Amino acid sequence: MSLQYIGKRLFYLVVTAFVVSMIVFGITQILPANAAVMMLGEYATPDALAAVEERLGLNRPVAVQYLDWVWGILQGDMGNSLRTDLPVGPVVFEALGRSLILAGFALLSVIVIAIPLGVFAALNRGKKGDLFASFFSYVGISMPEFVLATLLLVVLSRPEIGLFPASGYVPLSEDFFKGLWHIALPVITLAIILTAHVMRMVRSEMIDTLQSEFVIAAKMRGLSKYTVLVHHALRNSLLPTITVLALDVGYLIGGIIVVEEIFAFPGVGRLLIVAVQERDLTMLQAGALVMSVTYSLVNLFADMAYAYLDRRIQYD
Amino acid sequence: MTRIRKLDRRKFFSTTAAVSVLGLTIPMWASQAFAAKRGGTLRISVNTSPSKLNPLLQRLSSEYLLGELLYSGLVRLGPNMEAVPDLAESWTSSADLTVWTFKLRAGAKFHNGQAVTANDVVTCLRAILDKKTGSPGRRNLGPIDSINEGAGGTVVIKTKVSYGDLPIAMAYTTAKIAPADIVSNDLERLSREAIGTGPFKLVSYEPDRLIVVEKNSDYFLPEYPYLDRVEVMVFPDQAAEMAALISGEVDVALQVPPAEYKRVSASSGIDGMRTKSGRFIDIVMANDRPPFNDRRVREALSLTLDRQAMIDFVAEGYGTQGNDVPVNEAYRHFRKVADKKPDIAKAKKLLAEAGYPNGIDLTLVASVKPGYRKTLAVTVREMAKAAGFNIKVETMPHGTYLKQVWKKGDFYVGFYNMQPTEDALFKLLFTSDAAWNETRWNNKDFDKLVESARTTTDVAERSKLYKDAQKLMSDDIPALVPVFFDLLGAKRNYVENFHLHPRGATFSLEKVSLGSGAPKR
Amino acid sequence: MIDILKRLVKQPQGLIGAILFSILAIAIIFGPMIAPYDPETFHFGSRLNSPSLDFWMGTDQFGRDIFSRLLWGARSTITLSLLATLMATVIGCTIGVISGYIGGRFDEIVMRFIDAAMAIPNLLFSLMVVTVLGSNATNAMIAIGIAFTPGMARVARSVTLSVRTLDFVAAADARGESGLWITAREITPNILASVIVEGTIRVAFAIMLLATLSFLGLGAQPPAPEWGLMVSEAREFMFKSGWTIFWPGIAIATVALTFNLLGDALRDVLNPKTH
Repeated sequence: MSLQYIGKRLFYLVVTAFVVSMIVFGITQILPANAAVMMLGEYATPDALAAVEERLGLNRPVAVQYLDWVWGILQGDMGNSLRTDLPVGPVVFEALGRSLILAGFALLSVIVIAIPLGVFAALNRGKKGDLFASFFSYVGISMPEFVLATLLLVVLSRPEIGLFPASGYVPLSEDFFKGLWHIALPVITLAIILTAHVMRMVRSEMIDTLQSEFVIAAKMRGLSKYTVLVHHALRNSLLPTITVLALDVGYLIGGIIVVEEIFAFPGVGRLLIVAVQERDLTMLQAGALVMSVTYSLVNLFADMAYAYLDRRIQYD
Repeated sequence: MTRIRKLDRRKFFSTTAAVSVLGLTIPMWASQAFAAKRGGTLRISVNTSPSKLNPLLQRLSSEYLLGELLYSGLVRLGPNMEAVPDLAESWTSSADLTVWTFKLRAGAKFHNGQAVTANDVVTCLRAILDKKTGSPGRRNLGPIDSINEGAGGTVVIKTKVSYGDLPIAMAYTTAKIAPADIVSNDLERLSREAIGTGPFKLVSYEPDRLIVVEKNSDYFLPEYPYLDRVEVMVFPDQAAEMAALISGEVDVALQVPPAEYKRVSASSGIDGMRTKSGRFIDIVMANDRPPFNDRRVREALSLTLDRQAMIDFVAEGYGTQGNDVPVNEAYRHFRKVADKKPDIAKAKKLLAEAGYPNGIDLTLVASVKPGYRKTLAVTVREMAKAAGFNIKVETMPHGTYLKQVWKKGDFYVGFYNMQPTEDALFKLLFTSDAAWNETRWNNKDFDKLVESARTTTDVAERSKLYKDAQKLMSDDIPALVPVFFDLLGAKRNYVENFHLHPRGATFSLEKVSLGSGAPKR
Repeated sequence: MIDILKRLVKQPQGLIGAILFSILAIAIIFGPMIAPYDPETFHFGSRLNSPSLDFWMGTDQFGRDIFSRLLWGARSTITLSLLATLMATVIGCTIGVISGYIGGRFDEIVMRFIDAAMAIPNLLFSLMVVTVLGSNATNAMIAIGIAFTPGMARVARSVTLSVRTLDFVAAADARGESGLWITAREITPNILASVIVEGTIRVAFAIMLLATLSFLGLGAQPPAPEWGLMVSEAREFMFKSGWTIFWPGIAIATVALTFNLLGDALRDVLNPKTH
């Protein structure tokens, strides 16, 4: 795990971030024939359109607009929201923090549940337990978040059962247990779908590993099933699992948008939906950029963890 | 003198007709004979983001709520749509009702400690009337000629014509008073801070999530407010909002969707609240462009509507039929007519006469908030099909609708609160110089009737003029008004003295208290 | 071809997937003919009914028959998803194969771009595109197609890379065949298997993404019987009649499930390496 390797990866991250910014900017500000019309609508007066164009500098060459935006970001200024006129940066990062907490809890639940479940399914391959788990995972990956979220809302939040509150956000720093209780439904929704994905991967990798040569060799050496399981199979399956978890951050970030909207959770996903609905260009650009860069960062960590573990345990 | 007007109203409303219309709300409003407990935090939910904190720029119910908590105007709207003192302690007018003098109450202070002076009032009102401020209330204050300070720290408002309704016009939701120096030099500040004279002070403002206000101990009515804090929680998702109310996280929900009303009010610990009102939904048509510049097309569309069915679909039964006039029994000079019925054959004939024998293609825009707009659009589409109208429905987020379509589009669904008077209503939406002249009907006869009514002091005469105006609307159909809504809200049973005012834009939370059973927060 | 189908059906996933797919095909082709009612007609007296003999799946808030709406909606939901995936596959593969074959600097640059595009979550990508193009079903389809293109390009490229080094490609090169010929005649048929598998699974995602966009009001417009839109509209009434949410929700999940099953089964059948 040389410093050179880390350096190279970080460099790639920066390049990726720049390209992401180009894509985001391109889609939101360059692609529309006229961004001002997109924001104000077809009935806007020429005066109003001119005012917006003036304000956002839409008449300048594309490259200039882009560089201006990027330069601003590098200095820490992501622009002001077109809706509230307040700076976008602090709002986005605060929302991101909350989303990360939500994502963190979801990931935690997934690790705790999905990995054992995947192992269990692999060990009981073909038997009832496996079939049941597989069925669950197929359904889980076929169900869009909004359907699951709505079903959970109807079932768990109805007054007769009233297990969890439908929404509302209580900062964990304010009241830890109340905060957990409020965050429960969104976490459960995300966790179920994620578990379905991860479990399949774990199961599939476990099956491969269990049939791989060196595990068979280990078994022949007379090692107990348990030792084989933990020391060899599991650790080898951990590699792809980390990759899958990183990939799942991708699903997570996508799923988080819808889940936050339905449960009114004040994270960055919800912020983006509001930005889209309000045609708040600045907020949309900032939010999309931050979200994507976060995803890249997580991928980077996952890759580095993979590389690290890879060398350590591959031929143990 | 002004007293004539007020007495007339009170006399009218004390007759049985009015009482039966406004129901139980009057006795409750009138009596305050119970000992209210002090303290506690009230949680109230809204479903649109109050993105404008500056009271001069507010347009939504959730924003009016904040405006009322944090600011005061010269006057407020009382339970019977009459003007009630707020920052103005009393007022008088000249005999011809063109010069109005408002005496300010002594000792009122802004949240920053500054004393309220006539200069503040004059500056604010002038700012509202100034085009540059961009206030939605610019043309809702009446035919004002000038606003100046008068002798002895009073405010003198001169109107261009005799205008008996001036005090009520001053109760308009955006006519709030803020310090003169801020309004003149640093208006932007009011987008982030609230420096008013309201019963509450701003603590925190996150327009998409939560706004917190706390008791203003220097409020000029020392016995109010009863509450220590109010938390306004924003729920863009109505299902989540209702769930929060039922589970007890929210104490008051300002708007309950009709489909949920029965279930919500039947839930334990919750009181459903229902008030008849003049709130209405309409289909706005651009009268100055084809195809709706042809009256026959408008009438044809009107004839396709089965309004009774619409009350079911759109208001779930919690409403009354509209006959293309936005005035109903909740108003004083309501002209009762036979309910309009659908007639598809006639509609087809009219459409053919207007030049569309093979039908016509149209796009109807509906914002997604509240949900009844979409429902109405789909219903109109289905009903008008039979006569050859091929309507495509286009939904859009509320913010986009407000920015892009409202007051500008050709064909969209509008949704409006009741106004305190017919004059206010017509001058808001339907005269040529209306503040929100979205139909661009620009009917000279209608304008004349409304103008005359405005300056007439004889009540019977005035009533006739307004009824003539309504007949004109009903015949010419500048907009389709199929349904009036009852206001539906809900509160937990420990919330005391909260009522839904038919106007839909005033809430009087300073009079609300929490009784026994309220959770400690 | 028949051989592949036979092997497909031998697998449990393949079997179930194939059965479901046939049902779907029937629904798409014959849907409107089977549907007992017009999907837009209101039945004034029968709002929010539970399933009955008259209305097999019950009615919605306007009294419209849910079963008929599902059948009509199948067409738009599935067709649009297929088209979006097809678009992504064609464009993505072209990019991926060319990039993989040419290799070197060009490949590096293209891949940087693809990686960055994939850093943007699919939903977010389509949200941005739909905002710019306008909210309707067609634009939603285009948005999804664009969002999926980088993923397909990546898969196509990686398979191209492994195929490129095989003997028959070198042989073709030695024979002096042009790059274009090699790409078309030698490489493409060999990557088809992986592309088909990936594409099939992508359809499942396309369906869910399309439904999500419609749910957010950014796809199909009312009164279209698009399934995501149906769920969105039903939420207001879900406590009055859960059927309005249940049926379209299950439909979406079932269709996505079908393609997931098929995709997995195809992967096992077409790729002898895995099992």
